[in-house]
Amino acid sequence: MIGGRLLALMEQLGGMSVLAARMVWGLVTLRADRTEFWRNMYRVGVKSFPVVAVTAVLVGAITVIQTGQVVAEFGATSLVGWGTSFATLREIGPILIGLMFSGRVGANNTAELGTMVVTEQVDALRALAINPIDFLLAPRYLAIIIMMFMLTIIGNLMALLAAAGTAYVLLGVDMRLYYASFAELIELWDFFSGIIKAVGFGSAIALVSCYFGINTSGGAVGVGRAVNSAVVASAVSIFVLDFLLSAMLP
Amino acid sequence: MTTGHAMIELHNVTKYHERERVLDNVSLVVDEGQMLGLVGPGGSGKTLLLKVLCGLVKPDSGSVLIDGVDITRISPVELSDVRKRIGMLFQNYALFDFLNVEDNIAFPLRRAGGMGEREILERVNELLERVNLPGINYQFPNELSGGMKKRVTFARAVIAKPPIIFYDDPTMGLDPVTSSKIFIMLEEFQRTQRTTSICITHDLLGARDICDEWAMIDEGRLVFRGDLSAVRASSDPFVTEFWDGAL
Amino acid sequence: MATEAAPAPQPTQGEETPLLHRFLEGVGGPFTFVGREIFELIRVFALTFFYLFYRPIRWREVVRQCYEMGYRSMFFIAVVMGFLGMIMVMQTGLQAQKMLGDLSMIGALFLQLLFRELGPTITAAMIAVRVGTGLAAEIGSMVVTEQVDALRMNDAEPVQYLIVPRVIACLFMTIVLTCIAMVISFASAMAGAYLMFDLNPRTFYNTDLLIWGDFITFAMKSLAYGIVIPVIGCHAGLAAFGGSEGVGMATTRAVVNASLGITFVDFALSAFGFVFIY
Repeated sequence: MIGGRLLALMEQLGGMSVLAARMVWGLVTLRADRTEFWRNMYRVGVKSFPVVAVTAVLVGAITVIQTGQVVAEFGATSLVGWGTSFATLREIGPILIGLMFSGRVGANNTAELGTMVVTEQVDALRALAINPIDFLLAPRYLAIIIMMFMLTIIGNLMALLAAAGTAYVLLGVDMRLYYASFAELIELWDFFSGIIKAVGFGSAIALVSCYFGINTSGGAVGVGRAVNSAVVASAVSIFVLDFLLSAMLP
Repeated sequence: MTTGHAMIELHNVTKYHERERVLDNVSLVVDEGQMLGLVGPGGSGKTLLLKVLCGLVKPDSGSVLIDGVDITRISPVELSDVRKRIGMLFQNYALFDFLNVEDNIAFPLRRAGGMGEREILERVNELLERVNLPGINYQFPNELSGGMKKRVTFARAVIAKPPIIFYDDPTMGLDPVTSSKIFIMLEEFQRTQRTTSICITHDLLGARDICDEWAMIDEGRLVFRGDLSAVRASSDPFVTEFWDGAL
Repeated sequence: MATEAAPAPQPTQGEETPLLHRFLEGVGGPFTFVGREIFELIRVFALTFFYLFYRPIRWREVVRQCYEMGYRSMFFIAVVMGFLGMIMVMQTGLQAQKMLGDLSMIGALFLQLLFRELGPTITAAMIAVRVGTGLAAEIGSMVVTEQVDALRMNDAEPVQYLIVPRVIACLFMTIVLTCIAMVISFASAMAGAYLMFDLNPRTFYNTDLLIWGDFITFAMKSLAYGIVIPVIGCHAGLAAFGGSEGVGMATTRAVVNASLGITFVDFALSAFGFVFIY
């Protein structure tokens, strides 16, 4: 049973690599459809912003509630600003925004592509001599990565602000003290490493959702299953990538 | 063949879907023992009409009476009782894919209760014989062909011997041979059980000699009601065009 | 009144909607949308509770669902929680080394955080992804293939027949899976601490900081998540309409709403725990 699963996994990874290569090629050779790209940028951005915003604010508050306490127990209230911001920028921000994004955008993308496959629209494109990868997939791939990048920056900012606010309300930490510890101890690299992770997650989400979407089969039931597989695979990739990137980025 | 007693009545039923009228002031009466053929262009509201008759969809105005009871004004418990007297054959089979054939067909009887397990199984096997599918008890719906699924759905719809049956396109997507077998099955059942039924179909030729009367719907409105001779005598271009070749 | 799925919005009387109406609709749209979603969820939740206590429960179905949910999610959760443990240890270890020079308390801190936050919430997020979408996909497919209508025609109210067993199963499995996940996470964290910082596992395993409040928080959160996830997933499935597109929409809706639901519950219970327990 494990052997069978491992084989299936290998097959999927192989398929995804091939798809990634073809999508990137479509982008690099500028054959990707530009209108589709901007259309997806708009839709992805608009669709995910409210959800990411709400999550970011709540996550900022939760981070303070959980970690601020730990820092306070060690009598280091002056470090609250640093502690929560560090956790947010480096880990919590990218991961949770990534998970949220994978749900909102990844699932949606797979569902759309899956429906198009099942209703034979993709075949229709091929019959019109339009390469589905250049027309459908490559634009979505790029749009998702760029949007993830932008939304993580905005989301991080909102989370940090929410964290600062919560620290003030719940722990009585003065805003200036918070900002001071933040400014003093947070390095630009902390911010960048989080962003790099976000881009990594974004590519994973984009690739996974496109792969499962375009390989859907089996009618309405197949679409549901494809979305299910896509979100699960995205979640796993986020955590595995996070581990690898954390180890590689000091 | 009919007793003149109205079994199914729709009075001024209207249903909106986002400001559009998908059912427009429909009034229809079907007498006990009659088989009504319900035809019309795709998307005209036929399936929706059946769902309104089952109480699965509530109309925005008008009343729906099943054997004298207005189902738009009764409680869910009373609605359940009414539904026990209706058998429904769904367009897309609607077989439960988590149950095998035997459990699917036995489902209505088991839910209703009051019948011993052995008797239930007897009836299931009897029906399987009748629809010419003996022995497939333990197979699952996804292992069956379209024609087989339609026959299993039919068995499930009639096993509780309901006085009212709705058929939503019983021969959709089936080859001509299987289609005629299904219509023969429906006709035989209608004759022996004296049920009141409504049959949605696109196969006018196949259903022509089975239905007692016909109703035509176009864009949510009832545009024709009468028997075959009235169809032949009609001067409405919509009717004549629709029936062209099937008369 | 008979309750059925997907209520249609009532139309206005005239054919033309005045500009004011349309403007208000545009502005209020998102709010009414969210409001209606929440109202529908509460309705399903209330119905589920009603059927839970006032009707017989299909226990065999509950057991079957437990098996399905556990079997399908276990490997996935194990992988995620394993990596999470190691990531946490890596980051806190590095920072503790830099800032405090002393790693002795990492284990204790990690354990506390595990109980209060990481264990229940991340496991729940993964369950939402795996089981939540699975439920929406399964039930959504049943809706668009008219199986749910067929159930209604046979006096099997979908909430009682389909949702209640799944809610019970998910509640139970969430708690079970969270416990297992926490063990795996802690074990991998302990291994990570040893491999990366040469930290003695016995030092890492430090329950000094754990208080009863942590257990209560863990229990509350797991319970809440265990109910929220299946209700949202099943509701999204039941509200599906329109063929394969509908199923896709239902699954997307399930994962988004479930994730949001978890976030809100997490925030509420964390704040609650902070104020009343600590």
